Amino acid sequence: MELSRSAGVPSAGVALIALAAAALPLVTRDSYYLDVATTILMNLTLTMSFRLQVSTGQINMAHISFMGIGAYASALLVTRVGLSFWATLWIGPLVAAALAVPIGSVALRVSGPYYFLITFAFSEVVRLFFNNFFEGLFGGPSGLVGIPKPDRLLGLAFDGKLELYGLMAVLCVGVALALVRLDHSRFGLTAGAIRQADLLAETLGVNVFRYKLTTFVLGSFIAGLAGVFFAHFRRVLHSSDFGLEPMVLLVVFTVIGGTGSVWGPVVGTILMTIASELLRELHHYEILVFGAVLILTMLFAPEGLVALPGTARRLLRRLRGRAPAAAGVGLAP
Amino acid sequence: MSIDLLVQALLNGFGLAMVYVLVALGLTLIFSILEIINFAHGEFYMLGGYVTYYAYALFGLNYFATLGLAILTVGLAGVVAERLIFHDLRGKALNAFIVSLGLLWVMQAGAQLAFGVLDKPVPSAFSGIVRVLGLVISVERLVVTLSAIVLIVALYLFLRLSRPGRAMRAVAQDADAAALQGVNIEAVAALGFGVGCALAGGAGGLLAPVFAVSPAMGALPVVKAFIIIIVGGMGSLPGAVLGGLLLGGVEGLGALFMGSAAVNILGFLMVIAVLLVRPRGLVGGA
Amino acid sequence: MLLELRGVSRRFGGLLAVADLSMTVAGGAIHGLIGPNGAGKSTVFNLITGVIPLTAGEVFFKGERTSGLRPSEICRRGIARTFQATTLFREYTVLQNVLVAAHLVTTPGLASALFWSRPYRERERRARDRGRTLLEALGLGPVASQVADTLPHRDQKALALTMVLATGAELVILDEPMAGLAAQEKAETTSVLRRLREQGVTVLLVEHDMKAVMGVCDTVTVLDHGVRIAEGTPREIQTNPAVIEAYLGADEPGA
Repeated sequence: MELSRSAGVPSAGVALIALAAAALPLVTRDSYYLDVATTILMNLTLTMSFRLQVSTGQINMAHISFMGIGAYASALLVTRVGLSFWATLWIGPLVAAALAVPIGSVALRVSGPYYFLITFAFSEVVRLFFNNFFEGLFGGPSGLVGIPKPDRLLGLAFDGKLELYGLMAVLCVGVALALVRLDHSRFGLTAGAIRQADLLAETLGVNVFRYKLTTFVLGSFIAGLAGVFFAHFRRVLHSSDFGLEPMVLLVVFTVIGGTGSVWGPVVGTILMTIASELLRELHHYEILVFGAVLILTMLFAPEGLVALPGTARRLLRRLRGRAPAAAGVGLAP
Repeated sequence: MSIDLLVQALLNGFGLAMVYVLVALGLTLIFSILEIINFAHGEFYMLGGYVTYYAYALFGLNYFATLGLAILTVGLAGVVAERLIFHDLRGKALNAFIVSLGLLWVMQAGAQLAFGVLDKPVPSAFSGIVRVLGLVISVERLVVTLSAIVLIVALYLFLRLSRPGRAMRAVAQDADAAALQGVNIEAVAALGFGVGCALAGGAGGLLAPVFAVSPAMGALPVVKAFIIIIVGGMGSLPGAVLGGLLLGGVEGLGALFMGSAAVNILGFLMVIAVLLVRPRGLVGGA
Repeated sequence: MLLELRGVSRRFGGLLAVADLSMTVAGGAIHGLIGPNGAGKSTVFNLITGVIPLTAGEVFFKGERTSGLRPSEICRRGIARTFQATTLFREYTVLQNVLVAAHLVTTPGLASALFWSRPYRERERRARDRGRTLLEALGLGPVASQVADTLPHRDQKALALTMVLATGAELVILDEPMAGLAAQEKAETTSVLRRLREQGVTVLLVEHDMKAVMGVCDTVTVLDHGVRIAEGTPREIQTNPAVIEAYLGADEPGA
């Protein structure tokens, strides 16, 4: 979270993602690989926005719910009201952000363990709501089906895998660019200060509550954006898509890469989504492996894979007894 | 609506709530000693369920002996988990929480692989009903509720009277001061985690005949336990009992008016309402 | 009066840590707050800066009520503080620490950060320049890009002080600014405090080093068991029988 020394935008990494995303269709147009790549980009959007909140010290267990809110909002507005996907692509996230204001205001009154429990409570309320109420609208346990693909835009039809992949790539790169800029700005600097010592930040004039709420609402907006895409990509929604299991997966993706910078979630998401595809046939083993990897990461490399070189170096130095104990743990205050 | 119906509904609510209080007490005990929220707590409850299935349903061990076995086995599993995993995470709430999410998955997937994904039915140990003052109570529920209450009282006495119990309370109050007075923090942490898990195991054993045993059976009680400890105040034992009674009452009455899903939402709305008014729970400190 | 406490009390459980305390701090002065261990000095600081809520009473700053406000709002009104256990953003460099502290003076806007506009970059550059100037003034120029956690104790103390100044506060509250410093370093801190007074910054400090307190303060308030037992010039305080008794009854005052 180094404040950039140059005045330029620290966008080289984002350019790399954009290039890689653009290069993929040149290598393969196989629909399976495009599907996996689209899923990676969608997950990336989610994990980067989740990390935005982690950067101020919040583990928001309701993050996945805001994806759900965006998804259901868009699906209903398109199928019931007849709005264009291109309108709901913005309305969905706005609905998620609008709901994030009151929910965040309530949740951020508490901190520490109370915070992840209250956000978990919120996520269960949202999930149960989608599952059990207004069955005619949300589809109940059997899900909301019949969601159309995005409609034509500027003469371009979005009925193939390639077009959907392209759309997600544009959205993801846009989000990455915004978040990298934020991370390297004074906003990101202050967010990290809150994570390290929130009381000190507060007494130095930082309204900690407002900062946390801002990241909560912005994160929810981005989650809503991913949700809208998800709805029209999968074309069917179940409340369990936004339950505890995908939420824990989101935590796994984010934490394994490391939360010190935007690049942790990027590395973690790419690696873990691919691992998830490889283990798809063996569902029990998949979550067994993911669970074990999560535990081992937090115990032995709490700053994540991205920070491994530094962690290893510090460990070595400590073994040789030259330096004091390691400076910090990835997440813990 | 008749008074009888209301009382019956409350009684139904309280009955199961006492078992959830048991789960909650374990959770809150672990939190007060190690400052760890163990999201995998429900999986220890699940372990208790499987011990009961194998010992009682398959091998025909006595019901209460099985309960004791479940408590012991799961307690041991808790000690092992503390030594192997949570040992270094004392006080690191965020990291410990994430680790417990990982443990939840490992234990759930492990159970699926070891025991299979299908529900395993456990026959009731008691049948029939009793009628008291016009109220109908199933004997099984009565035994379950009374056993839960006995275990709660046993925990209370253990914490009040026994040496290790008093050491746990001292650590919960102020770990540094306790260490200065010669309390072995390491041992207390392991034992506390074990006792906390043992309570969950006991609850799992109690409810195994009521619901079926399955790898995912821990999800529901742990969610109820979270509601109970947030409402009551984290780390507070009387708070957990109070939270359990409140939840039981609200759910029992709610069941008269709405479906089970809506009732589940009631509990969460109660959490949100309580945190708004008293962010540390009803019995929590200032 | 710059700062005024009216009947301030704070209760922790059964203990009355601060009891009906009224005191004033004049603008432009260096004001010391002393007393034996457990007298409630740090609690008074926490109450003034809104870190903990008051049980009773009111605090006024420049005639406006500040009790009940968020700490960040109190800081915005012009009161900033250091903590007894020197608190820093340990993973950040010295300059980054100061930039966070300068938050109020150069507010980082969310939208402008997203668009990375020219005025935004210009403002950032000015903020960094201002931070460097401040660091130079307190002798931290050479370590500006060092990570705070790796600094020696003396520099960490100086950084905490720099951060408080970077907020642009009119009243700075220092909790034991001399603790753990060598004689030479104490002298440097004393001269920094005097320089602040010349620049019109008011200082309120808790300090155990009596020689330093008596040497630098214009006014001294003495607390014992949460109660104000004396107030006056250092000379008056040193000869006050109540003060002498409070200290003799407790531990020896610091060297």
